[in-house]
Amino acid sequence: MTASVPGPRYDAALNLLDRQLVDTDGRLVGKVDDLEIAVDASGAFRVSAILVGPGALGPRFGGRIGDWIVAVWARLHRDERPIPRRLPMAEVVSVESAVHVTRRTTKSAGEVWLDEHVIDRIPGAGHDPG
Amino acid sequence: MKRLFAVALGVLTAIGGFVDIGDLVTNAAVGSRFGMSLAWVVVVGVIGICAFAEMSGRVAAVSQRPTFDLIRERLGPRIGFANLVGSVAVTFLTFVAEIGGVALALALATSVNDLLWIPLVGLVVWLVLWRISFGVIENVFGLMGLALVVFAVAVWQLTPDWDVLWQQATATNPPATEDWLTYWYYAIALFGAAMTPYEVFFFSSGGVEEGWTRKSIATMRSNVFVGFPLGGLLSLAIAASAAIVLFPLGVQVDTLGQVALPVVVSLGKLGLAVTLIGFFAATFGAACETGLSVGYSIGQYFGWQWGKYVRPRQAARFHVVLLVSTILAVGVLLTTVDPIKVTEYSVVFSAIALPLTYFPILVVANDPDYMGENVNGRGANLLGLIYLVLVIVASVAAIPLMILTKAGQ
Repeated sequence: MTASVPGPRYDAALNLLDRQLVDTDGRLVGKVDDLEIAVDASGAFRVSAILVGPGALGPRFGGRIGDWIVAVWARLHRDERPIPRRLPMAEVVSVESAVHVTRRTTKSAGEVWLDEHVIDRIPGAGHDPG
Repeated sequence: MKRLFAVALGVLTAIGGFVDIGDLVTNAAVGSRFGMSLAWVVVVGVIGICAFAEMSGRVAAVSQRPTFDLIRERLGPRIGFANLVGSVAVTFLTFVAEIGGVALALALATSVNDLLWIPLVGLVVWLVLWRISFGVIENVFGLMGLALVVFAVAVWQLTPDWDVLWQQATATNPPATEDWLTYWYYAIALFGAAMTPYEVFFFSSGGVEEGWTRKSIATMRSNVFVGFPLGGLLSLAIAASAAIVLFPLGVQVDTLGQVALPVVVSLGKLGLAVTLIGFFAATFGAACETGLSVGYSIGQYFGWQWGKYVRPRQAARFHVVLLVSTILAVGVLLTTVDPIKVTEYSVVFSAIALPLTYFPILVVANDPDYMGENVNGRGANLLGLIYLVLVIVASVAAIPLMILTKAGQ
């Protein structure tokens, strides 16, 4: 990284990869499954976005298991040619023991499906905890 | 006053919640075959679980990150995934054993075959995980589990020859009826029963469920350092009762009823009634804990919303895991597999899986980036390193010993 990147610096592999993502409501929204790297105007490499979900995790596995994870994810996905969920770095508020992001992140498609077809059909799915 | 109450409640539930089906069966089996000659393993195991539960609890309190978050982060997705598969397999096996244990306890109380109880127990466990709040699960079954103090009363009422028990406990070799290989096999089983990995998954995730902060560390420590050792004493009382009554007769423990036998001998029907309540609470509480731990581990690896602190709708994937694993566990038990046998294997496989859990905890508890001023001190690290060596030795030795001794027969 060069000085062209404002703000604190992180070791992307140590401080970002595989950390928990938490949104402004304290909801757990996924892991930093992979990072998108872009070249900025000065020619330096920088992390441009966080990639979330099996589609991003699979390639990091490599090998047959990695292919299998991506294949199952793509098969179950609504889109013909799905791309992993992407959170631009501009939405990252802070990097602590978890990575905090600004927006209320929408649920992934798989989660919505399970919610609608399984959990929401069981009485008491919406009751308050405690 | 409120704080004192919280501390007392925490300690009491830690005592009552310490013992599960693995501790019940393994301690009684060991007491009946080896007298008190393996009591030292319980002491070693309790010190180990205290050291690592304190570390995982401290990490959870300071960083709000439970154990499997750390495993994924420190070991990366691949090794973390292998770890997930191993840990979940062992925790699931323990879950099966606990549900079977509840059914056996109910069968003892009602004389209705345990296979008939299993589906009902599965249903009620799932209902509790679905509907009852975390605090209630932890406190109710923890406090009810205190009924197992009846084993200590039984030992006292049996007026044993304390010199003989002490001689057994300090003997440097197994009794004449057993050989060294089975001695070490059961040592590993006892060690695995005391240090089961699900205990730290549950303990650290429970800390997040209850919203621990740095301020909670003192309360957490009192639970661990007072509650767990007293729970360990219950384990020793179970072993001692078997050592006093069953060991001289050469009776080996193969059923849950035999675990209760020494209490019946000394305290009669009333003692048995209290014991059965204790069995039920210990196994039912642990069934909830292991079931939740399966969901916690998988949810934390993938970064899903997990936990009982949100509505089920908000943690849909977590609750699907709980539902599916409960159905699978009932299915496994309905194959008529003996829950006691499942328990015996689950504690040995726990011993094999121990390094997977304890290594990442030790690493993160030393990371100032995470822990700030609450990093491990020298004492915690020394103890942590000694136990890391111990769990690796136990893990490596477990399978060869299992083969050589035909699983302790």
